Amino acid sequence: MSQVVTSLASRLGDLVGPGRVLVDMPSLAAYGADGRRPSAAVLPGSVAEIAGILRFASAERLAVIPIGGGTHLGIGMPPRRYDIALDLSGMNRILAYEPHDLTLGIEPGITCAGLDRKLRESRQFLPLAPPFAQRATLGGIVAAAADTPLRYGYGTARDFLLGIEFVTGEGIVSKSGSRVVKNVTGYDLHKLFVGSLGTLGVITRLNFRTFPLPPHQKMFVFGFADRSSAFDLCRAIMNSPLHPRLLEVVDPGTADLFAVHGANFLNRDSWFAVVEATGHEAVLERHARDLASMSRQAHAAEFIALEESQRNQLFACLSEFSPIALAAAPAATIFRIAALPSAMPTLLEQIRSLADDHALKCAILIRALSVVYVALLPPADANLFPALIGCSDQVIDLCISSGAAPVIERCPLEIKIALGVWPPPGNDHEISQRLKCVFDPHEILSPGRFRGGL
Amino acid sequence: MHRTIIQDLEQIVGTTGVLSSAEDLLLYEYDGSVEEAHPDAIVFPRRKQDVVEIVKLANRHELPIVGRGAGTGLSGGALARRGGIVMAFSRMNHILEVDPENQRAVAEPGVVNLDLSRAVEKYGLYFAPDPSSQKSCTIGGNVAENSGGPHTLAYGVTSNHVTGLELVMPDGKVVQLGGRTRETPGYDLTGLMVGSEGTFALLTEISVRLLRLPEDVRTLLAIYDSLEDATDSVVDITARGITPAACEMLDGWTLRAVEAYVHAGFPLDSAAVLLMEVEGVREAVEAQAAEIAEVCLGHHAREVRRARDAGERVLLWKGRKEAFGAIGRVSPSYYVLDGVIPRTKLTPTLRRIEETSQRFGLIIGNIFHAGDGNLHPLILFDHRDADQLHRARAAGAEIMQLCVEMGGTLTGEHGVGMEKNELMPLMFSDADLDLMRKVRAAFNPLGLLNPGKVLPLGKGCGETRLQPFSVSASGEA
Repeated sequence: MSQVVTSLASRLGDLVGPGRVLVDMPSLAAYGADGRRPSAAVLPGSVAEIAGILRFASAERLAVIPIGGGTHLGIGMPPRRYDIALDLSGMNRILAYEPHDLTLGIEPGITCAGLDRKLRESRQFLPLAPPFAQRATLGGIVAAAADTPLRYGYGTARDFLLGIEFVTGEGIVSKSGSRVVKNVTGYDLHKLFVGSLGTLGVITRLNFRTFPLPPHQKMFVFGFADRSSAFDLCRAIMNSPLHPRLLEVVDPGTADLFAVHGANFLNRDSWFAVVEATGHEAVLERHARDLASMSRQAHAAEFIALEESQRNQLFACLSEFSPIALAAAPAATIFRIAALPSAMPTLLEQIRSLADDHALKCAILIRALSVVYVALLPPADANLFPALIGCSDQVIDLCISSGAAPVIERCPLEIKIALGVWPPPGNDHEISQRLKCVFDPHEILSPGRFRGGL
Repeated sequence: MHRTIIQDLEQIVGTTGVLSSAEDLLLYEYDGSVEEAHPDAIVFPRRKQDVVEIVKLANRHELPIVGRGAGTGLSGGALARRGGIVMAFSRMNHILEVDPENQRAVAEPGVVNLDLSRAVEKYGLYFAPDPSSQKSCTIGGNVAENSGGPHTLAYGVTSNHVTGLELVMPDGKVVQLGGRTRETPGYDLTGLMVGSEGTFALLTEISVRLLRLPEDVRTLLAIYDSLEDATDSVVDITARGITPAACEMLDGWTLRAVEAYVHAGFPLDSAAVLLMEVEGVREAVEAQAAEIAEVCLGHHAREVRRARDAGERVLLWKGRKEAFGAIGRVSPSYYVLDGVIPRTKLTPTLRRIEETSQRFGLIIGNIFHAGDGNLHPLILFDHRDADQLHRARAAGAEIMQLCVEMGGTLTGEHGVGMEKNELMPLMFSDADLDLMRKVRAAFNPLGLLNPGKVLPLGKGCGETRLQPFSVSASGEA
């Protein structure tokens, strides 16, 4: 161990106490981000300790990456510098939970699965069903703006995050928002933190609005011979009085992946629309009736109301789309593309045709008619990187020219280096730069991971 | 203001686009709050380029600029606290695009809230935020204040419905934030901008999402002999997992004042009424309405009425939405507060407000969004009596402090403006406020946009600092 690392370990040890600083190589391997490893990992137990660590790092210009479950560490560009991993997994307490107020205050390190168990005791939940839910922490989910199959009904974390407490890059403890369900006091700084990848501050507390568990739920699956019929159905639902909480479309490539993960009731050659309704029995019966009628009008080849176990399998597949794609092809390149519903059918046709041109398998998931996930699935052969890079580049160009906003959410390092993962910055970039400077003037927080090199 | 500046403004927008006479300016000294401030000129841009040129002109002369929609705001947000130019957006009132297929619209800031919903009604769509002033307030004002309304209980506030903004920065640069899709890569600058009360930039275009009109609506009126029974009903409805689209409460004094004016059918001898609405598919609405009635009767509601038709529904809502007008008939002035508390604290908070009312010798009515704990105490006073105005402000400050003490906030939907900026330390530490100042400076470095709003003005001149409720004192942030 070098003298520098010994000294760093000792300085961090002074701040958090012995036993909560890791500097051995096997431990640090778990904190790697895009091939970079930190010189030390530190496990703070309090907000004051985090503030102390960041004041120290700021003074020494050491780069810090806040980490929860580490499940979203590959998102964004490789960090320019990486000295300290700030492991928040030990800060996992529920600080306040008032079921009758439907409000919750938690530390960032609590896992999604752990929190869900706790909320279910009061018949409530947070409509977040992110990938890697067993390990993903709430702090990480918010910082990565992790998506959820429930967004059609409930929106995303941005819509029900009430406020946060955070520590800036200079080690200043601050807060934004409140603990009640409605508030316009002061600027909504917490909105900036959703999806900021730890580049503005370290979140130390999150306040959420919780939701009552629905009395009943029913998931319906529609099979179609072609893409356009699947979109016809989605449009019919959008224009109907029905308001399901989940509306997703999967292509044959994704159906193929899901079939391996237990959803083997999906015919591998079809496009599928998946709808979940909630409410009292009479409401579910109404959905079943209307959806059956829409299914006939959209010429669906099949229309199934799923059993509970099938529903759970398919729901898990939908939320775990990225891990499933990565399991099928470790070099999978997964795009998250925000688009308007009307642009989606043509965009998908063109993307699938690009994948065909490059002899790449492709899997597509359309979430809540808001976001398209496209996974390009190369075989395990490094010689295929040129094809993957070429295809990805064309997908990005195509999206931008179609008015869609693409981000590469998961991909091999080679793709990041060749193409970058973010679209070029817009004319609001100067504001983002100034804000970064306000929150993290010495650029020590996750430097370089964010859009525009922030 | 120097005559040459007025002439320069007239060069940009024409002579009919500028007001500067003393009697014209008088009309812009007020908004819906109890504050007042004197502007030097009012200018009415018609297009984006007008806004850019006015901003550049103001910059050259270091003049403050305050954006204004319909002037219905309730915290002094649209008042020229430091004088200068009021930029009134009433002529930038075009709906630029309606996209029914994607359920989107793009509007100029001066479009009236209800006009947007009316324009898209033929597609079965509407814009969800519905402030009580929706017949006159503008979308630009809604964005600046992050406005709510009775139905935000189920559908969220303005920030949940805005997807993109076009801004004119204080240096005249035009910037696009977000877009028409619900997410865009990068920091959520749209989310930060909504609710920034005109202190960051001026808006020239607003992209919003639209919602589908519900298939069915049921409006219920639960009538109580005790205020506590009404508040307990609200808590219990939530506890059962029912989310009404709206859940509004009027206390006995307020419902009597409203009834005398609107004749909505509120029983004059009751202690409180709850006005509730459930929306959605027919089957859900029926089940929820039945469940709500059961909860209310279980909490000793004297009666639960259901609006039998659209006419009755409109009348009941008239009783809610025109309540402030009704109060205007019985008191020369009133001061509307906007604190939020956890809904489980409704009963003790209302009791404390009653004590405040007695101690200050002022009538305080309560009409509010009970479902989300957003109180609107109405303090009645006569503005011609300086002592009454002083007592009204002091009682207001005490109630706002009470809301924060209960774990809530100073304002749920009216904004901080120049009414509550000195109370901000009740909720935020010096470090929090310093950071907000720096964020504002990132947009508005010279402080020419809506100066004197949102943040406290400084510690000089022996000003008393209020103590925030610290993490250690309450055990919570």
